[in-house]
Amino acid sequence: MSHQLTAPHPKFAVVGHPNKGKSSIVASLAQDDTVQISDTPGTTIKSRSFPLRMDGEIIYELFDTPGFQRARSVLAWLEKHDVPAHKRAEAVEAFINTHRENERFSDEIELLTPIMEGAGIIYVVDGSKPYGEEYEAEMEILRWTGQPSMALINHIGENDYSQEWRRALEQYFRIVREYDPMETDPQQQVLLLESMAQLDESWRVPLKHSIVLFEGRRDQKLEQSAKTIAHLVQSMLSHLEQFRFSGEDVEDTDRQKLLKNYQQHLRALEQKSQKFIEQLWSHQHLQKEQESLLFEGVDLFSKESASIFGLSRQEMVVTGVTGGAVTGAGIDLLFAGHTLLLGGAIGAVVGGVGAYFGFDELSGIKVLGKTLGKRYLEMGPMENRNFPYILLGRSLYHLHKVAARSHAKRGAVTLTMDETFKEKWLDDQSRKSLEKFHKRFRSGDEISSGEIQAYEALVLACLKKIV
Amino acid sequence: MNLRSYIDLYQLLDGHALTHEENRAFALKNDLQAQSSLRMLLAWVRAHQNSLSSPAQSAKFCKYLYIVSLVLGVLALVLGVMTGIGLLSYSGKEPVNLIYFLAVAAFIPLFTMLLALFSMLRANQAQSLLIHISPAYWMEKIVGFFSQEARAALSKLTINPLLLNWLVIKRSQLLALLFAIGLLLALLGIVATKDIAFAWSTTIQVSPKQFHTFLETLSWPWSSLFPSAVPSVDLITQSQYFRLGETLDSGMVANAARLGEWWKFLACATLFYAIVVRFGMWLLASFGFHQALKESLMSLEGVERLLFEMNTPLVTTTAPKQEIVFAQEIHQYSRVLQTVDPHYKTTLGWAMSKNDIVILNDSMQVSSECVFDIGGTNTLYEDEKIISGLQGEVLLYVKSWEPPTMDMMDALLAIITQVDKITLLPTGTKEDGYIPTSRELNIWERKIQTLNHPKVWLCRIN
Repeated sequence: MSHQLTAPHPKFAVVGHPNKGKSSIVASLAQDDTVQISDTPGTTIKSRSFPLRMDGEIIYELFDTPGFQRARSVLAWLEKHDVPAHKRAEAVEAFINTHRENERFSDEIELLTPIMEGAGIIYVVDGSKPYGEEYEAEMEILRWTGQPSMALINHIGENDYSQEWRRALEQYFRIVREYDPMETDPQQQVLLLESMAQLDESWRVPLKHSIVLFEGRRDQKLEQSAKTIAHLVQSMLSHLEQFRFSGEDVEDTDRQKLLKNYQQHLRALEQKSQKFIEQLWSHQHLQKEQESLLFEGVDLFSKESASIFGLSRQEMVVTGVTGGAVTGAGIDLLFAGHTLLLGGAIGAVVGGVGAYFGFDELSGIKVLGKTLGKRYLEMGPMENRNFPYILLGRSLYHLHKVAARSHAKRGAVTLTMDETFKEKWLDDQSRKSLEKFHKRFRSGDEISSGEIQAYEALVLACLKKIV
Repeated sequence: MNLRSYIDLYQLLDGHALTHEENRAFALKNDLQAQSSLRMLLAWVRAHQNSLSSPAQSAKFCKYLYIVSLVLGVLALVLGVMTGIGLLSYSGKEPVNLIYFLAVAAFIPLFTMLLALFSMLRANQAQSLLIHISPAYWMEKIVGFFSQEARAALSKLTINPLLLNWLVIKRSQLLALLFAIGLLLALLGIVATKDIAFAWSTTIQVSPKQFHTFLETLSWPWSSLFPSAVPSVDLITQSQYFRLGETLDSGMVANAARLGEWWKFLACATLFYAIVVRFGMWLLASFGFHQALKESLMSLEGVERLLFEMNTPLVTTTAPKQEIVFAQEIHQYSRVLQTVDPHYKTTLGWAMSKNDIVILNDSMQVSSECVFDIGGTNTLYEDEKIISGLQGEVLLYVKSWEPPTMDMMDALLAIITQVDKITLLPTGTKEDGYIPTSRELNIWERKIQTLNHPKVWLCRIN
């Protein structure tokens, strides 16, 4: 394989009529959200290369190109040079060389140059609009280049004219596929790469390699996301916020300031985690309609957030009862049942009552230190048992939106509320498993790396249910 | 791997984050993929520690730690010497009770070592009382005497509690070792400069034979190497001392020369129990510290990401160059019609068949003397021929969903030279009742605006 990889890498020029989604397809394949995608034709004026590199070595290269502007004039020039079929590529070369400085043909020169340098052709049309005869000049020019080619039917609108397009395209291209750049299904991308591999025998190995890379990369992204979310929950639950005050008594304003600082710190942690996940999924330029932390004005600490993402009081009590009963049952087991199973019963009652009363409050405030008149108020670790579920829900929802967003999409992402979302990732079993760890995080004890890894695995399992 | 590398890594990860590309390039350049994670991290720290502002926090911390350790070490040594002198102070009236010295040289060290072992086992617990009654308390007190700047520098550091516990355990073993060395120095110094009569005295009913058995067991580690450092039953019998009565036992006075022989036993007991075993404890603590350092290094925030970046092939798909895009100023086009005129001299259709143009005329209730299709599969020559024959007012149908190409604009420019007025009418698909969308009309309007010719009109029907 390494021998074949040292050969010139495959190149693909994405070409077509203006405004038919060439840039969207490139953005989707390259997972690059910086590609300018606009409904104004002629936005792309220069070819732009998107190499897939692994450790600096190019596996394949995509070219986003401007659309054909004067296809008939180019074809007229080519046909004027009455050449046999085997010399047609040379005629295209001659056209490029003759018109390199001619502004009239700058778009055609930009799109034909990578093709004549060995790039395979990916011809893009919009299958939601009817076929037009004006496309024939473009397809004829591409045929003249003699380069391996395929056609992609993109669906920009709702109507479907793909059958008439397919009939026309099949006369010019050996492979015709449909591709929706707005769809993030990894299988669609794999199928396209497999089709591209069929264009030339020598491109098969590098393109298969790229498929493996893409698949591995997705798994790594999922694992890294799970780690980030697990770390976020652990650091938020165990966070201690201190506030220094002087004087004998603690004023209400001091408590309010401490609470505000505590909440701000946790919000900042959530924001940092969200930014990291957006970067991880290559959405650095993602714009959200609302401030990054607020889900449509639903703050991390709001009642709305709790009602949508968190557990209900009833679910919380059930979780508390189960957790308490398990701890109590451990005591019963230790005494070989001589406790008449009282351990389990008492554990269940304590767990349930604790969960019921610890449903709303965040954390108690402690007064610390008396040296030299400086005293501290301390808040944390998080006592609210519902909070980790709210946080997990929000984090998973954000990740779900980011991972499912196509790189071809532009504009703000709308993070709308979905009350059924919780049911998709949280079942009774995972709730019980998660609660054990949340209890440990709330304890303020040192958490071992083994425990963190186990929690990460749980978060990953929840994450795989939604992504 | 040492404390400096830990602090440097902490600081580098905190404020000098490098990109995945840089970290992967570093791993490849230094051929680190086959190395252990720890080696990779240490190599990374070595390569980047120069980027830390000088003096680095690690240098500051280690300097302060050295000062604190030195102060406490000197104090421990001096305290050991003073304790030895105190325990061996001999007026000549009464012999020195060797049990006191033995307690300080062997029993207390053994007990504190047991506590230290317990501390080591519980070092993973952040809150360990046993650790906080250790020299850590005094270390903190000494830090209190440092300058404001030094204390501020120390407060910036957040060191893993596990590592701190082991640091204190290791330092406390070193201090105890220095104390024992002081004790031994005092014993040797006093023995060399004074004649001391050692005796043993206890309220507990212990016979010399029983005491001998006990001491023989205690002397087991060195009995084969230094047999003279194991007290005999005779010596034990002769050196038993009762404080009742004002004068010394005559037997003791007669064997005064022999009573001094105890120093060998005491020196060996100090050397073995307070120094050799303590040294072993120090080695154990050093090992524990090393392990804790390793674990702390690996658990630093950001380490996992750094290792991931060094180990994972860097896959990039993005364009290395910024995109050059066409930017157009948008103004409202002034020659826009909302309705189409009923009659034109000629009706043209861009890239559509004659039949389509006739249908469109019918649909738009437009009549015209001539109908021509231009663009599409026509040759440029065919278009030229059609255009050269145009005059008067012309209606040009275009497909609203197809963006205006320069080919169409060339044709439009040629038409302008022939006609009095040309109206562009973008039409939608048949399925949409030939009604274009506003978005499509806007695209056409923007394109016509670039031409901005008084003969060119746009008909917006939607």
